[in-house]
Amino acid sequence: MADGATLAMPRAEAPGGASLKRFARRRSTIAFLMTLPLIAVIGGLVAWPAGYAIWLSMLNRRMTQFIGLGNFEILLDSETFRMVIFQSVFFAVTAVILKALIGFWLAHMLHHLPAKGQKKWRGMLLVPWVIPPALSTLGWWWMFEPTYSSINWVLAIFAVPAVPWLGEPWWARISVIIVNVWYGAPFFMIMYLAALKSVPEQLYEAAAIDGATGWQKLRYVTLPMMRNIISITVLFSLIVTFANYDIVRVLTNGGPRDLTHVFASYAFQVGVLAGNIPRGAAVSLFMFPILAVIAFFVLRGVNRRTKEEL
Amino acid sequence: MSATTASRDAPGIYHKAGSLRSERRWALWTAYASLIVAAIIMLAPPVYMFLTSIKTSAEIADLGGNPWIVRSPTLENYRALLSSPMFMGFFWNSVKVTLLVVAVSMVISVLAAFALARMRFWGSQWLATGVFLTYLVPDTLLFIPLYQIVGSLGLLNSTWGLVLVYPTLTVPFCTWIMIGYFASIPKELDEAALIDGANWMQMLVRIFIPVALPGIIAATIFAFTVSWAAFVYPTAFITTPSEMPLTIGVVSQLIRGDTFAWGQLMAGALLAALPPVIVYVFLMDYYIAGLTAGATKG
Amino acid sequence: MTKGISRRSAMRAGAGVLAAGAIGAPMVHAQGSAGNLRFAFWDHWVPGSNDALRQLGARWAERNRVNLTLDFINTTGNQLQLTAAAQAQSRSGHDGISLAPWDPGAYADQLEPVDDVIGRLVQKYGPINPVGEFLAKRQGAWRGVPATSGTQNKPALCRFDLLQQHAGIDVRAMWPARGEKGPGADTWNWDTFLAAAEKCHAAGFPFGLPMGSLTDAVDWVGGLFASYGARITNERGEPTIRGNQQLRQVMDYAVRLSRFLPNDVWAWDDASNNRALISGRSALIFNPPSAWAVAKRDAPQVAENCWTIPMPAGPQGRFVAYLPWTTGIWAFGRNKNAAKAFLEFLSERESAEFTTNFSGGYDIPPFLSMADFRVWETEGPPVGTIFNYPLKPHHDARYSIAFSPAPPELASQMYIQALNTKVIARVAQGGETIDAALGWLEREINNMRRGL
Repeated sequence: MADGATLAMPRAEAPGGASLKRFARRRSTIAFLMTLPLIAVIGGLVAWPAGYAIWLSMLNRRMTQFIGLGNFEILLDSETFRMVIFQSVFFAVTAVILKALIGFWLAHMLHHLPAKGQKKWRGMLLVPWVIPPALSTLGWWWMFEPTYSSINWVLAIFAVPAVPWLGEPWWARISVIIVNVWYGAPFFMIMYLAALKSVPEQLYEAAAIDGATGWQKLRYVTLPMMRNIISITVLFSLIVTFANYDIVRVLTNGGPRDLTHVFASYAFQVGVLAGNIPRGAAVSLFMFPILAVIAFFVLRGVNRRTKEEL
Repeated sequence: MSATTASRDAPGIYHKAGSLRSERRWALWTAYASLIVAAIIMLAPPVYMFLTSIKTSAEIADLGGNPWIVRSPTLENYRALLSSPMFMGFFWNSVKVTLLVVAVSMVISVLAAFALARMRFWGSQWLATGVFLTYLVPDTLLFIPLYQIVGSLGLLNSTWGLVLVYPTLTVPFCTWIMIGYFASIPKELDEAALIDGANWMQMLVRIFIPVALPGIIAATIFAFTVSWAAFVYPTAFITTPSEMPLTIGVVSQLIRGDTFAWGQLMAGALLAALPPVIVYVFLMDYYIAGLTAGATKG
Repeated sequence: MTKGISRRSAMRAGAGVLAAGAIGAPMVHAQGSAGNLRFAFWDHWVPGSNDALRQLGARWAERNRVNLTLDFINTTGNQLQLTAAAQAQSRSGHDGISLAPWDPGAYADQLEPVDDVIGRLVQKYGPINPVGEFLAKRQGAWRGVPATSGTQNKPALCRFDLLQQHAGIDVRAMWPARGEKGPGADTWNWDTFLAAAEKCHAAGFPFGLPMGSLTDAVDWVGGLFASYGARITNERGEPTIRGNQQLRQVMDYAVRLSRFLPNDVWAWDDASNNRALISGRSALIFNPPSAWAVAKRDAPQVAENCWTIPMPAGPQGRFVAYLPWTTGIWAFGRNKNAAKAFLEFLSERESAEFTTNFSGGYDIPPFLSMADFRVWETEGPPVGTIFNYPLKPHHDARYSIAFSPAPPELASQMYIQALNTKVIARVAQGGETIDAALGWLEREINNMRRGL
């Protein structure tokens, strides 16, 4: 490849349309070769398995027979799975909204600080995002543990009765969301902080001269300036949160009564643990259309706004 | 006339400046109060993990006292882990897989990003969008078909299987970051290089990589963090302890079904979390730059 | 982890899981003139117990000039089961592997029949217990050798002081450390149990009975169902739920009992009940002696007041929750005769006793004639605390496995999905009627059977 490129150079210097065209052709060949590994990774390890998953989801348990949409039909018939759909959507939407709000609030607060102190606080608040979530969830699990819960110990000081964090379905759902928000809010914070910094100071000054209150500045200056980054972050986080597996796996394993299962953990249980690979594939494929629809609208909005700005 | 305007405005400006100052002070207090609360919540779990990790089992089992206080600190949990060949094996597996994956992902994504950002060719636009869309297909959707594929390659229960599949987690984002960085390098630079007779490879190595170094560092840290923390693939593909990386090793080997040693578990989790934390302490700015690169540029 | 439970394994102070060397270090033995052999065993929850198999393996391998490698695989996250599934699918891997209760049936057509081995062993030691036979003998042949290492009972592990004080039951008198029943043993049924549960709950020491989806929960509820004669499917896997009076009766009982349990038992894992006992907050759990052994290390004042007794009896008799492992030999293996010989060696009385001793009495051999190992009499304090842990003739009890007699493919799914605890939870925690919950159960089973 390098040789080919070296050979191309002298010719490129030569005058004449033909050699320029050849240069362009050669350039696209080289460029294609350079992207080939990327294409191999995406094609071989993402696109092909995704297609294969669709095929798998249409087989019977022993993978000996084609049953069309049978697995999807069976799943939709099952109350447990309908509950998994509800829980996945509830979990992802609530967690993302909370993460965005908390992240926005913290970014705003950080933005008020003088530049020197900012770095220290930013560093502390980012810690949850750096620890691998499977491991930090272990810490949370231990804090939620019914007999030894250190959170309940703190609550007891304020005379709050012990909370069955992982035992009651709604508390368990809340616990899973708490951990996810704890892990993900710093990411939003850092993205919004970067965005806040990129809002020109003059806009605020202009707004101040117009007599805008803090709220009005937020509403008419900050938010419009950050719309794209908010959309992108929310989209990215929604995708990641919908696909969350480690927190549920470590914290509740889907319990109690399967009420905290999300698509990924349920797919793992059905597909790998209970040995029904096709049905597990069908479970995990359910997220795709949901994500694709959301992504389509978010990205369309972003593109439209980018075009308006231009 | 100008004098009257000035005198009319003067008190207003003065008044505004005064309220601004008090508003600022108030805002600063709110900021500190919220940040202190947030920091306590954000840091409580790791701190409590650390406290647990330096307790003895008897102290952990004792319900009598304040769980947030350590009465007889011990390093026994850490000693047991660090002297265990199994735990060190997890560590080594993680290091091996992570280094290989980071190297592979960086080569793939730098080459591809360069080509996509600088050398327009048929389908390059389409491909750049495709890179972003890969996120719609998360690992939790892919692990079941990949379980079959990796199995048919005979790579279940092998760190090589992980090296094969982890790039799906790292390459798209790294490519995205690098496209952003390369795109921000002025076009005049490559024209100058082309006139000097450099070929594309030389141009990439001599000009683009040095100029985009911060981006490359950011992408490397990102790839490192992601492959260190990967959980779904090793859970699905690795079942023998000798091939496990740290995340799954700690979660599956230090937790036993029946009873378990919380002190050791917490020590293991903290030790496993240490490398990304260290990297982040030293290279925080790059890491943040990497995370925000695509978004602020795009 | 359970530590210092075995008399023979040294007590390494403060050490946890790893100090015992849990890793399956490969061991290779001299001149493998008789070929190579590789086994995957259950990674024992009692530290040091793997060493029993390692030492036995070393002895056998040397004698038979076989290159023997042992791997020990954990069951957290069902890794051992996943390994078996992967190997069955790729038709490669270990020569032999520990199989979870229902798996010998699920993989029957890929497992080498071992009737000859079982035949010789039965001749020497008498019959294998019926549950072990039911699970391992499939499609007309034995698909594996019921194992000693890892096989456990889940009888009642009681705090005799608390039961005496709050419920007025003297469990040591009922079930003394002798081969006979004491006074009142015949009243040890689920009704007595319920009354005791209520009183201990009122006194602040509720029974720690898990109702989650892991084996401790599924197994004890399985024992409860069996003692009421409540079956949810027949041998063909067809649901037998409609009009099933025993099932309604046991559901009713379980719901009443669950009112006296801690309110978060629905999320308990296999360790939560142990923690409840060790912390001194619970008067009774269903568990092997590992919980007591940890208490001995971390909370000696609790351990001294522990006593293991059989599970209570129900209208259809007394059943003890039983979690048996079976070691199977893959039909695709190359050295099947050596593998059989190795398993036969491990099943001999001397080997079984060696294994059980290493586990501090945790392991239960499949032969009823082996319920008299000395370790169960001598472990303490208090001495005799696990005398009644193995099933002994005077208990008048039988082993139970949840979801029998369903066909293994269905049963293993019901077991992993913990349908029996979930159906109770739907009523007790979810507030459904028993009819609605049973309707759900039937639909869920029918759903599992579709597209098999």
